[in-house]
Amino acid sequence: MNLFRSEEHIARWLGGREPGATIAVEKLVELGLAWYADRLDRDWRPHTRDENQAILDRLDLVGDFWRLP
Amino acid sequence: MDQADVDLRNLTYGHLRKVGRAPTAVEVARASGSSVDDVRAGWRRLHNAHALVLNQETAELRMLNPFSAAPSSYRVQAEGRWWYGNCAWDAFGILGALHTDGRLEASCPDCGEAVAIEVRGGRPDDTSFLFHCLVPASKWWNDIVFT
Repeated sequence: MNLFRSEEHIARWLGGREPGATIAVEKLVELGLAWYADRLDRDWRPHTRDENQAILDRLDLVGDFWRLP
Repeated sequence: MDQADVDLRNLTYGHLRKVGRAPTAVEVARASGSSVDDVRAGWRRLHNAHALVLNQETAELRMLNPFSAAPSSYRVQAEGRWWYGNCAWDAFGILGALHTDGRLEASCPDCGEAVAIEVRGGRPDDTSFLFHCLVPASKWWNDIVFT
C-alpha cells in the first residue's frame, strides 16, 4: 500500500505483476481518517465487517477489489 | 473479544499514545499488574482477532494499526512527535487516530524520490500523488505485513 509519483511509476514498480487498485491521494487521506478515527478512543470496540465495508462504500471504493471477506 | 482483552488492547494503545512507541510485554504487565505470560497470551488473542499484529519472531508487537511498532518508510509528524505508519493508508490513519493535522514523509517505491505531504483540516497540500493497493480487500489479512 504505497504512494507513487504517477501511473508510470506504479507500472514500473509492478514489473508485470497484476495491478491492484489506484486511488487519488485525497481519497486516501479520507480513507485513513475515517478508517482509524476511533482507534484511540477510550470506548473503542472492534469494528464489524459491515461497519468497515460501509466506510469503503461511503468513499465509493466499491467492486470486487474492495469487498471484504 | 471479551472485555479483559479490550482493556488490554486499550492499555497497550494508551501506552503508545503516551510515550510515542509501542510498549513491551514487560511494560504492559507492570502497568496492568498481570504477568508477562498473561499479557503475551492476551496479545495473541488480539492478534488472532486482528486487533493488533505480533512480530512472528519475537512475540512482541509489530503493528498497533495504524501505527508501526518498528521504523518504516512512512513517517508522520504530529503532536510534536514522529510516528511510523505501516503503509501510506496507515500513515494518514495516524492523523485520523490522533484527530490532528500533520505531515507525512516517505519516498516513491519506484524512483526513491522524496514524498512530503502536509494534511490540514483533512486535506493534503499536494494532490499529485497516487496510492496503489496491490492486494484485494478479501486477502488483506492473509499476510497483513505484506499487504
